[in-house]
Amino acid sequence: MTDGLLAGTGVTAPVPAVSLEGITKRFGAIVACDAVDLDLHRGRIHGVLGENGAGKSTLMKMMIGLVFPDDGAIFVDGIRCYITDPQVAAGHGIAMVHQHFSLVDPLTVWENIALGDGGRLDPGDVRERVGEISEHYGLAIDPDARVGDLPAGLRQRVEIIKCLRRDPDILIFDEPTSVLTPEESVQLFDSLRRVVTDEGRAVALVSHKLDEIIQATDDVTIMRQGVVVDRLRTVDADTPMLARSMVGRPVSLRSERAAFGVLDPSVEGPDEPAAPITAEEPVLRVVDAVVHGRHGQASLDGFSLDVRPGEIVGVAGVEDNGQAELADVLSSLVTLQRGHVEVDATTVAAGRPGAMARAGVAVIPADRHDSGIVLDMTVAENLILVDPKRMARAGVLDSDLVRNLALRLIDEFEIQCWGPDAPLWSLSGGNQQRVVLARELSHQPKVLVAAQPTRGLDVGAIEYMTERLRRAAEDGVGVVLISSELEEILDLSHRIVVMSRGRVIGEMGRADVDRDRLALMLGGRAA
Amino acid sequence: MSDSTKVRSDTADQTQAGVTRASVLPVAEIVTLYAASILAALVVSALLVEITGGSWRTVFSALLDGSIRNPGRWGTTIGTAIPLLLVALGTIVNAKAGLVNIGQEGQLLVGGAFGAYVMIHLDAPGTVVFVALVAAAIVGGAVWAGIAAVLRYWRNVPEVLTTLLLVSVAAQLVGFGFKRESILLAPLPEGSATQVQQTVPVPEGARLSRVTVLGNEFPISAFVALALAAFLAFVLARTVWGFRLRMLGRNPRTAHRAGVSSQRYGIVAMLISGAFAGLAGAFMLTGGDFGSYRFSPNFAVNIGWTGLLVALVARERALFAIVIAFVFAGLRTGSGFLASTGVERRITDVVQALLVLALLVPPAVLFVRERRRAASATRART
Repeated sequence: MTDGLLAGTGVTAPVPAVSLEGITKRFGAIVACDAVDLDLHRGRIHGVLGENGAGKSTLMKMMIGLVFPDDGAIFVDGIRCYITDPQVAAGHGIAMVHQHFSLVDPLTVWENIALGDGGRLDPGDVRERVGEISEHYGLAIDPDARVGDLPAGLRQRVEIIKCLRRDPDILIFDEPTSVLTPEESVQLFDSLRRVVTDEGRAVALVSHKLDEIIQATDDVTIMRQGVVVDRLRTVDADTPMLARSMVGRPVSLRSERAAFGVLDPSVEGPDEPAAPITAEEPVLRVVDAVVHGRHGQASLDGFSLDVRPGEIVGVAGVEDNGQAELADVLSSLVTLQRGHVEVDATTVAAGRPGAMARAGVAVIPADRHDSGIVLDMTVAENLILVDPKRMARAGVLDSDLVRNLALRLIDEFEIQCWGPDAPLWSLSGGNQQRVVLARELSHQPKVLVAAQPTRGLDVGAIEYMTERLRRAAEDGVGVVLISSELEEILDLSHRIVVMSRGRVIGEMGRADVDRDRLALMLGGRAA
Repeated sequence: MSDSTKVRSDTADQTQAGVTRASVLPVAEIVTLYAASILAALVVSALLVEITGGSWRTVFSALLDGSIRNPGRWGTTIGTAIPLLLVALGTIVNAKAGLVNIGQEGQLLVGGAFGAYVMIHLDAPGTVVFVALVAAAIVGGAVWAGIAAVLRYWRNVPEVLTTLLLVSVAAQLVGFGFKRESILLAPLPEGSATQVQQTVPVPEGARLSRVTVLGNEFPISAFVALALAAFLAFVLARTVWGFRLRMLGRNPRTAHRAGVSSQRYGIVAMLISGAFAGLAGAFMLTGGDFGSYRFSPNFAVNIGWTGLLVALVARERALFAIVIAFVFAGLRTGSGFLASTGVERRITDVVQALLVLALLVPPAVLFVRERRRAASATRART
């Protein structure tokens, strides 16, 4: 490719480390990538920016052989390659750090790193190499620590070391900061910089966060709906311009800006000054909750939370600090070892099937496939999952009632599907999420728990979801917003609590937010 | 919320616009698949028979004669289909709940033993004996499946293992019952020296009456089985209980959150599953098509295993299971005639097995395809 990002900059343009030409990939009727060109150069960090679903992950997967392109060519150092699987990619020196880790929890760090090696295993050798790498790149880690005991930031470090040990020329990072505290992110970018400038490797950084792209990259390619819409040098870019290019129109709504991580709360206060909720008694009280995880460690360790009617409480925190367990408790999915949950001043038996739902706790789960929907059932059936008795006479479902309810909710929540009898798997992720939302709100809940409610949604869907959450609160529902996206929390919440290692380590009203203090707390330090 | 009560009438047009209707049941595809795999099995069978010196015409003709063509054979086939269908219906219930029960052979045997015990020891009018026999058999089958269910929820023991292993235990238990005249063994007939391991026959009055339709004779339990199939199909599709059971099977965590107790529904499903197997045993004992109204250690004659296959092939659909049960029964009654063809038994066994395989392949293929389609639909959308 002579596209010439570097042309005329005085730098002699060498052969790109990797060059993608006209890469196209379709999934059924959906074109994930449409004739995409992309060059990665040695010594430079290349940002790939786009909304969820823009095709950036698919593009990266084609580079490491997890997905095979329908059309187009991949060149490594100018030579055409057919990357049919990750082994081939590794042979060409391409490695990827995935968004979701592929580590074995009960094994130690060095064992995980040695995993997949052929031949004889020499523990001393592996340990030594791990030591070298971690010292060289400033990725300090104890090779004998058990991976299951490490926080997400360190686990990612293990993944990175695992990658670097194979000495790859080209490194791909897929949304690396979603599991990191702000501080850890800065550290990550520091070591990235070292990898790139000192050793002339090429790095691709996939992200949907504008700030990150601006801070950490040299070049940026922006994708929208499978197409490259813009490519430029990062020094020439600024946030509003990137945002406009990514979404295809000027970004004005607060929720949108929040979604891309460009909301600066110190500059922009809340839209409507969040009138401190004066209301009476809390509608939801979680008192001193303790839940043990699979390895016996406490996932919730004395967690307490009060939510009043009409209030949106944002539960901020780095992922894997007990948020999933909190949502599970409020979905009746786990029992408490200690503590209790009250809804409307009545204690609800945690863990008893359906108890929370009956008490009026609606939940939008972080992973809807896990506990929110049944993919093999129809849209109508999914809309009545929680309370089918309402639709039945003498134990027999009234198909007219079900159908009418489904039609009404499909209409009201603008669910795109071919009818109430469409199997749920035939819907897109955003529409599946709307089915969950429609069902949960149709029960007139007292409390609404929204766990990572906008993850994986596109801008329109994000806007819709945030609007619905706001409206629910206005209608007097107590909303618990669990999110690892700080901007989303700052955008919506009246009050923010920060969760770390299964407990609340800080709390502040929306009006008193101090970003530095918040960042410290996210890192696990009470401040 | 507050505005959620608004009802609009233009929903249908709006929601269907621009979204193509996904094909849920590709009928042509299913028919082609079955035709192709059965044809393949027939061709291979024919070749096999010819290579070993037999005549494929004779073999297939014997199969057809035995199952449907000869006078009265429809009746025999229906008689065989009844327990197959009942076992399959039970299997559908546990499968819908996401549980795997593969011990129907044992549950049927225990059910039969319970029924036989009551029949031997209850001195009462025929009808009373019949009712007690059926009830006892249902309880026996349910208990046998219930053991597996309780272990599953009490100690997390996989029910696949327990149900299977309990088949052997059932056989031993029944074997023991035939060691004592006080339990199951019939008294030694006068003047006979050899003791046969079997019970006394079911008294006349406690037997199922048989009807004759167009020269085909079968027990009236056929109608009971048909009614149960229809009833089960309705319960699973239309009742709250069936809905929640399906929910549990498809996504246990969603079901738990929605208020379905996996323990309660799971145990009930297993009890029902075993009860159906027990009922099959009771009807076999009182129906006349099996073992001439006597219970014996070999009473189950693979009906449990075959019934399990019927449920698999019917892909958990109660009404479809009626047809499949009849087909499998036909294979069974038809193969009774193969001995007279002079073709070696091992070869005819292989022919039968090939035909069963031909019936099992399409559901498996369809299942995999459906999964793929679902998977690619979700993948494309994320």
